[in-house]
Parts: sequence; C-alpha cells; structure tokens
Amino acid sequence: MKSKVNKLSWLFGALTLFQLIPLAAHAEEKPQEIRIGVSSAGAGGRPLAGGFPLATAHLHAVLEEEFKKDGIKIKWFFNMGAGPATNEQFANKLIDFGFHGDLPLIVGRSTGLKHKIIIGQGRFGEVTFVVPANSEAKTLADLKGKKIGVFKGTSGQLVLARLLERNGFTERDFKVVSLDTATIKASLATGDIDGAIVAPYDLVARGVAKVLLKIPRDPKLQGIVTLWVGEEFEKKYPDTVQRVVTTLVKEAQWDSEEKNRTELLQLWARQATDTYLDYVESWKSYKLKERNTPLLDEYYVSRLQSAVDETKHFKLIRHDVSLDGWIEPKYLNTALKELKLEHYWDEYDKDGNIKK
Amino acid sequence: MKGEFKLKASNRILALALFTYAGTSFGATPTTQELQQQIEELKSGVESLQQQVRAGKTAAPVAAATPDAAVTREDLDGLRSALENYKYDVQRLRDTKSPTTTRGTTISGTVQVRANSTTVPVTTGAATTQATPRYTSFDVPLANIAFAGNLFKDYGEGHNLDYKVGFGYAKAAATTTAAAATSVFNLQDAYVQYNLINPAVTGLEDPNLNLRLGQQVTAFGLEAQTTDELKPSINAAQFVAGLGVGTRQIGLILRGDYNPYVDYGFNYRAPLFEYAVGVVNGSGPNQSDNNSKKDYLARLAVTAPVDYTSWLRELKFGVSYQHGKKNILTGTSTTAVDGNSDRYGFDIYYNHLPFGGTYEYATGRDATFVANPSLAASASNIATTNTGNTGTIKSVGQTLTLFYTWGEQWLKSSNGNGVGKYDDWWPKTYQPFVRFDRWDPNTANTAATGANVSAKIDISTVGFNLFFAETTKFQINVNSYRYHNPVTPKNREVIAQFQFGF
Repeated sequence: MKSKVNKLSWLFGALTLFQLIPLAAHAEEKPQEIRIGVSSAGAGGRPLAGGFPLATAHLHAVLEEEFKKDGIKIKWFFNMGAGPATNEQFANKLIDFGFHGDLPLIVGRSTGLKHKIIIGQGRFGEVTFVVPANSEAKTLADLKGKKIGVFKGTSGQLVLARLLERNGFTERDFKVVSLDTATIKASLATGDIDGAIVAPYDLVARGVAKVLLKIPRDPKLQGIVTLWVGEEFEKKYPDTVQRVVTTLVKEAQWDSEEKNRTELLQLWARQATDTYLDYVESWKSYKLKERNTPLLDEYYVSRLQSAVDETKHFKLIRHDVSLDGWIEPKYLNTALKELKLEHYWDEYDKDGNIKK
Repeated sequence: MKGEFKLKASNRILALALFTYAGTSFGATPTTQELQQQIEELKSGVESLQQQVRAGKTAAPVAAATPDAAVTREDLDGLRSALENYKYDVQRLRDTKSPTTTRGTTISGTVQVRANSTTVPVTTGAATTQATPRYTSFDVPLANIAFAGNLFKDYGEGHNLDYKVGFGYAKAAATTTAAAATSVFNLQDAYVQYNLINPAVTGLEDPNLNLRLGQQVTAFGLEAQTTDELKPSINAAQFVAGLGVGTRQIGLILRGDYNPYVDYGFNYRAPLFEYAVGVVNGSGPNQSDNNSKKDYLARLAVTAPVDYTSWLRELKFGVSYQHGKKNILTGTSTTAVDGNSDRYGFDIYYNHLPFGGTYEYATGRDATFVANPSLAASASNIATTNTGNTGTIKSVGQTLTLFYTWGEQWLKSSNGNGVGKYDDWWPKTYQPFVRFDRWDPNTANTAATGANVSAKIDISTVGFNLFFAETTKFQINVNSYRYHNPVTPKNREVIAQFQFGF
C-alpha cells in the first residue's frame, strides 16, 4: 500500500512538473543588467547629461529603483564622443539601449545597426548662431570662407546643414571643422573659430561672444531625439523593455510639469556644459510639455523621414534607410494607457502644429 | 513690482474712501466731534498705507536673495574671497611645487619588469663565465623616457611644429667575470616634425601629411614601427633584429595618407592610401653616415574603404622597401667597399574586434665577398677577404600572429577616455594569442649538416595579455624554439612580464 502511495506521489509530482514546464518556458528570462548608451557627457567627462527626460531619469535614479527588486543593474555610458560613440558601442554589443539625435541614429541604421525606436526624447528648441564678441560679421554671408565649428557626426551637423541651405549656402562655402561642444565654446571665446551653433547665454554674459542669428521656433530646423532598444534585447526581454519605457514615460510627465521647471533646469545644469542660464533662456519660450513629449506622433515620424532624406541629400550617408519596421510604438502606447496619460501630451502634425 | 501694484490698489481704495467721506459730508453737516473722528480715521489710513509702501521697498532684497534671483553682498564677498584664495594657492603651488617647461610638453615612458625560465642554460646578459648554468632570471629589459610637444602650435590650420626626444636604458656589455652591473642611457628618438596637413585639426576627411627630420623609427612593415604598448607578444619578430629594420635611423621621412574613407556615424577614418618616403644615413642611431651613399625607403599601404560595421573594417595591405648601402668588411679589416643592403616587405593587418591578426613577410639582400660569384652566397662560399667578387646573402622572415580580444581597451567610445566617469576607470581587457615566427638568416644554407647547415629558427608562441589600467599590462608567453640545425636541441622558455607606461 505504502509503495502504491509512493508511486502515486511520484506520478502526481511528475505530472505537476510536466504542467509547470510550459509555464516556465513562457516566463521571461530577466537580464542581469540593462546597459544604456547616452550620446552626451558633462563638462570634463562627468557622467551626467541634461536637456532630455532620460537625463532626468538618470539623475532621479528611477530605472535603478524600478529594477532594484529584481537585482537588475542599470549601467550607464555617458559618451564624450556623442552619437558616433554610442553607435560604436552598439556595434560592439556593449549597450542595449541608446539615446541619439537624428543624424547618428540614421547613419548607424544605414550601416546595418539593428534597433527599434521605442520612445521620443525631445523635439523643437531654438537655434542660435554665435560668433566671437569682436566679430565684424553681420550675416552668415560675411562668414564665407571662415571657420565654423560643429561636432561632426552629431545631430548638430544636420541642423547646421539645414540652416546653411536655407540661407543659400553649403558646408563647402565655409571651412567647417569638427569640435565637441565644450571645445566650440572655448574656441569661440579664444576666437579660434569664427562661428558655431551653440547655446550662447553664458558666453554672452561673459562678454566673449555674441549672437549673429537666432531662430526661436522653427519645427523644421531642429531634429527629433530618440531612445532605441537593440532588436536582440527587445526580442529576448520584451517585458523589461516595457518596464523601461513605462518608467521613462512617468519621468517624462514629471519633466513636463511647469511646477518642476526650476528644479528640472537646475538638475540638468549639473552637467555644466550648458549652464543654468543657458537652459532658462533657451527653454523660456517653450512649454516643458512641448519639448519633453515622449510621443512618436505624426510630427516625429515626419521629422525622422525628413532627416533621412536630408542626410542623403547632404551626402552624409551612403546607403538608403527605410522607416518600415524601425519604429515600434507598442511599448509607448501600453505605457500611456497604463499610466492613463493617453491625452496628456498634445499630438503634433507634420508641420509642428498641435493636431486638432 | 508686487509692492507697487498693491500701493496703486491702496491708492484707489484711499481715493474711494475720500470720495465716500466727501459724499457723506455733502449729505449732512457733521458735528465737530464727527469731523475730528473722520480726520483721525483718515490719518490712520494714511499711516497704514505709508507702512505698506515701506514694507514694499524692504521686500525687494528679500526676494533677491531667493535662488533664482540676484546674489547677496555676502555671497559675492564669499565668492570673491574663495577666488582670491584659489588664485593664491595655484600661484604658490606653481612656483614651489610644479615642474614647468618653456613649451607645452608631454612626458611619457615605458618600463618592463620580467621573469623568465628556460629549458637550456643562458649566458647572455650577465657574466659570460658562470659557475653553474642559469635557467631563470629576473630582468628589466626596457626602461625609457620621452618628452614630446609643440615648438609651434597652429590653432587655425594645424601646421604644428612638433618635437620628440627620448632616451632608453640598455645594459652595458658583460665581461667574462663581471655581470652587466652598469647600464647606459642612449638617445633614441630625437626629431622635429612639421605638419603640412593635419586632419586632427582641419577635419577627418582631409589627408594627412608631415615631414619628420632627425633620429627616428623608419617606415618598414608593421612590427618594426609598433610601440611596445601595442605589441601582443613580448619578443619582437626575429626578422626585425635580423634585418635591422627596427633600428632607428637619422634622416628625413615624409609620411602621409590620401583619400580617407570617413564614417562619421562612428568617427571612423580609414585612409585608402598611407605612404612614406624618406632618405636616411643607414648607419643606425647616434652616429654620422658611415659611407658616401644614403639609404632610401618607401612604404605604401591600402586600407579597405568600408563602413565601420563592415567585416572588412581595418583590413590593410602594405608593402615596404628600403634600398641601402653598407660597408662590406673583409673580416675584421677596416678596408671595405660599398655593397647593397636592401629590404623588401609585405604585410597584412586585420583588426575587427574581437578578432585580429597580422602577417608579415620580410626579406633582405646583403652584399658580401664570395669565393665564387656564380654560386649562391652560402656559408662555405662567403669570403673573409676581398676577393673582388660579390654575392648576395638572402635572408627571409615571416610572422603570423592571431589574437582574440575581449574588453574595451581599444574602443574609443568605451575606454576611460571615451566614457564619462568620476574615477580613474579603465576597462579590463583580455587577449590570448598565438604566433608563429620563422627566420632564416641565409637561405643558401640548406644542408642538414656541415658548413652550410641551415640556421633557420622557428618560434611558436602561445601567450596571454591582461590590460588592467590605461598604460599597464601583464603578459605571459610560452615560446617553443625549433632549430633547423639538428645539432641545436629544441628548447622552451616561459616569460612573464609586467609592463607599465606613464
């Protein structure tokens, strides 16, 4: 009898285990760490960034908090080499998520990097062309043949190309040299370059530079900013991707509340390449909600397509890039629904106007 | 502004009150007592308004002290004081504690500390007479220091005039009884370089062109030009010393590249052509030319013009040539005649993390006196007197190195120079490798025994490198020697080396 009971117990146990196997097979494996490449770093290589909700998420450590209970570490890479460095890391399988401006995002995609766009990280913003304080230039035309600084390979190069084209010029009309943002500011102060697109306010306050041209609002001049996830990671850990996106949407909401403006800009200024004054002045004509939206709306898609076309037009890529299958909005949509924020941010049309 | 606004509103209230009083006074004739009371009320109203005005004036500095407004006098004084202290401290430290130079200078150096063990006794590097055979030793095979910088820095176009001067330690020659207990300090690099085109300043898509005058490493192959920081193996390929292509020379070399392929998405630059042409003494470092002829050298390398993500990234083919003149000595006699000393090389380089490999083929043609010019310059045909006949010794070396690397040591984006960090961080990198190195000093010596016995040597190496700081690595190599001369037994050595740079 005892042996029969034993046998039944074994049978029952085996059946139970057998039933559990499919469940275990469906439970998502969790990564040990989440590696995020940020195409920005603070002055002097400080591991800090500012100007977009992902930077605030790092400063608030919200992702660390979200994944603490699972023992998943968040590993940040703040890249002094900006977008191109983030591409290099992803090509060498060192990061799972990447934060990019439009040009390096597109160039990386054109050379075969496999990632999915999952959430927006910013849009709009003023464009200011700055010259040394003693410059005699009154217009861009006065700078023909002179030296203009830009961080090549970053979205800034595309903004410069758009600005020059609108004024009837190309890069070839100037001597365009590649410098990072901190060096551009230093070079304007010493007069080693004759102009650049850069946040001007601290330079102007110090009396070392002046604004030649300022375009406060032009939805077709600035590019969109993006967070993507590697396709391999996304396929393997979709639940983790969802939690990352949901956490970042929550953060974007905090970043969009006007009552947080002062605290937000002070947090961002900790990276010190752009000062608090730069942030206050350059963001004052925008609502936080406008710029910190995570939406992948009509405006986002249209700007990305335009950036692809422009990148080809300016001969900055050698291969075609298609948007088909590149943007994956399901994580964002789920997050918005879960957080009941479907109507929190305005949707914009392709021209940058609020959709009615 | 708020204070002013309140005041204006108060004024309106006051006007309204006066108007009301005026209205009531027209309605009925007040008594003296009532008038007195009204005057008192009006007085207290005016006093109240005056207080509000005063409060409005004093409220402004309080508002100014908030974080988003102007700083207070105390804040400013504190900042000024802190700046003065800082300026004083910097100046004092600079005057008393800091080395200074007349021009911007970078000081660098490399030191190697080594332990080795062999299966055959060794006598080199110590007293040539030893009571017991030596199988193990600790050594400092390398210690050097260099100073480099700009004599003139052109911020605009990058036409910098650069310099470098470096010194290296070497053991003094051993004697029969005394170990090499002393060392000498030799001049190694000593040159000035003018940058005609400098893509580091003008942009990656521009070519590179510079002219270097002085004592310098020549432009032959891969390994002869590579610094110790980057070499995977501890010992250099045998042909480097055998052909003398690693020897520094004094002269003028033009180096440059042309048509770079730039992938800005990754800040990757691959020049389609790299070239070098030069004229040097050919007599080695720290001496004048030893004959009336100069040596000429040239190198051309082609790199695959592909995107960063391509599997062909960093695939490079190179050819090198040196045409030299040497003194053909008749034994130890000072009498000599000029003879050719030419070097030819071919190399392949591939480095696509984590896989990498190099292959080099190098051959030399050196004139020598021979007894019979119609025969190859084998050992038995080489003459120690001036026979009036010259032949050519052909020597050949080949080296194949394959390595696998994991870690971010060489990734610009991800090493300590590319990723923002607060501390002195550097990614650990691991690199196992294998190498096969063959050297035949005279291909005419092919016999199994006798005078023309082959002097060919094969060295197979298995090694491992651990990089754990920006300029520091630990290396371990196991070298197996196989001699084609059957008299010389095979042997094996283990070398463990710690190399640090600064």
